Amino acid sequence: MSKDSIVIAGYSETPVAFKSGRSAYDFAGEAFAGLLAATGLEKAIVDGLSVTVPLSECANPFFAVYMTEALGLSPSWLNYGGIGGCSATGGVARAAAAIRDGQAEVAVVLSADAPSTNWAANYGAWRGEFQDPVGIMGPPAAFGLLMSRYEHQYGLNYEALAKIAITQREGALLNDNAYAKLQKPLSVDDYMNSRMIADPLRLLDCVMFCDGGNAFLVTTEGRAKELGLQKMVRATAYAEVTNFKGDEATADITETGFSQLAPKVFGKSGLTPGDIGSFHPYDDFTIAVMMQLEDFGFCPKGRGSDYVLATDLSHKGELPVNTGGGQLSAGQPGLASGGLNLAEAVRQMFGEAGARQVANTGTALVTGIGVIPYARNWGASAAMILEA
Amino acid sequence: MPESKMPESKNQRRVPKANRFVETEAFWQGAGQGELWLQYCPDSKQFQHYPRPVSIQTGRRNLEWRKVSGRGVIYACTIVRVPGPGLEGRLPLSVATVELDEGVRILGNILNTAPDNVAIGQRVELAWDAIDGETSYPAFNVVEA
Repeated sequence: MSKDSIVIAGYSETPVAFKSGRSAYDFAGEAFAGLLAATGLEKAIVDGLSVTVPLSECANPFFAVYMTEALGLSPSWLNYGGIGGCSATGGVARAAAAIRDGQAEVAVVLSADAPSTNWAANYGAWRGEFQDPVGIMGPPAAFGLLMSRYEHQYGLNYEALAKIAITQREGALLNDNAYAKLQKPLSVDDYMNSRMIADPLRLLDCVMFCDGGNAFLVTTEGRAKELGLQKMVRATAYAEVTNFKGDEATADITETGFSQLAPKVFGKSGLTPGDIGSFHPYDDFTIAVMMQLEDFGFCPKGRGSDYVLATDLSHKGELPVNTGGGQLSAGQPGLASGGLNLAEAVRQMFGEAGARQVANTGTALVTGIGVIPYARNWGASAAMILEA
Repeated sequence: MPESKMPESKNQRRVPKANRFVETEAFWQGAGQGELWLQYCPDSKQFQHYPRPVSIQTGRRNLEWRKVSGRGVIYACTIVRVPGPGLEGRLPLSVATVELDEGVRILGNILNTAPDNVAIGQRVELAWDAIDGETSYPAFNVVEA
């Protein structure tokens, strides 16, 4: 550790709600106030702000500026993050760069969204001419295509996907912030009998759009200690790629951006997969969790089903995965989604996870996914390693 | 479900507007004559689909449109089962990623085969789906072995 290390020295997360009737601003305010309460800091200390583009307010190109007014902040550094589920970890990385560059000392990375209350997104572009007519109206059909190809190349045991859903659901039962209606146990039969959405993708492979928010305090270790903060984790490695293999007309769509990021974050941190205390992969769909277990080297490519069935992924297990239920079972708070996985990682490392506390709080790996492109793998991938 | 609230077109399939993203007149004129025309970069000798404002190989605007065979193989496939705008009366809907023999992929519906019988690796050929009385849209039929 050095006093210049970039740290996350506080976090806050609102409960996930469905059709809350509240705005992204209101959830952001709740998360921001929660962060001040958790850290004991006054808002005047905050001089940097990263805001995630939300589905529910994205028709306003000045959402981030409006947010500074809503919160009464006058930051010397403002970032508006538009890489979807990568925006939270990406926001931490961008805040780190801004802090190292002297543009800010204490930044808040804030994500809030309420798409189950208000949908403001219109993707436009090529979709009206080349995707909508075919009947792909959103991510589930795109992931159905991706799953079909994965199954064709590697084989897919649906009991393994069921186990991911069930294990994460068990975590949500122990998470007070999980959407209440998702807090009931699942069985393999529940999974297998859940209706097909876009074959072979079932309902219980999918997230549910909800409302919620989260916030993180990012500064240097030295500044955090000056401010009297006791709990902090270092962000020791970050890597990101957007439009992975975007100029390859016939790329293998089962190859994800994480195959490129894993060697980077392990190389930079000096860690190996075996060193990871808990894994918080972005989980919009169960297959994404399985593919990331492969890409980060927890098991070989194509062997995800066997690995999942042989491994305890609960908070007590060999590799704790999305211990609070993840987005699949806590609910996906719109594009504040990436912060849900990040909040659980920091909570575990702070030793504040209560009944679902993992044993190894020394390290965690968090990821983000953003955007579903035309007939390919997902569009943006981000990975961050946290160390005590 | 994610993205269930798309705007407009509550009860019928929407006829796409051409030229919203980039100039696509050649695609639509070809479709009107029962031909599939795709964007082509002559510098890299590579088709690209959907069409872009530049060649995604070179970054330059030296692009043209060429007619393709419409023959290819199913690379990935799914069956859309959830209602949505423009899907009325079409469910369950067979959707495939088709890899054309020209080395480019295109999304399309499979028209002549029950959705459960569509599989990766099947050969397909071009077919036409009527969006309305005036507009036809490229789709595919499985070629019987």
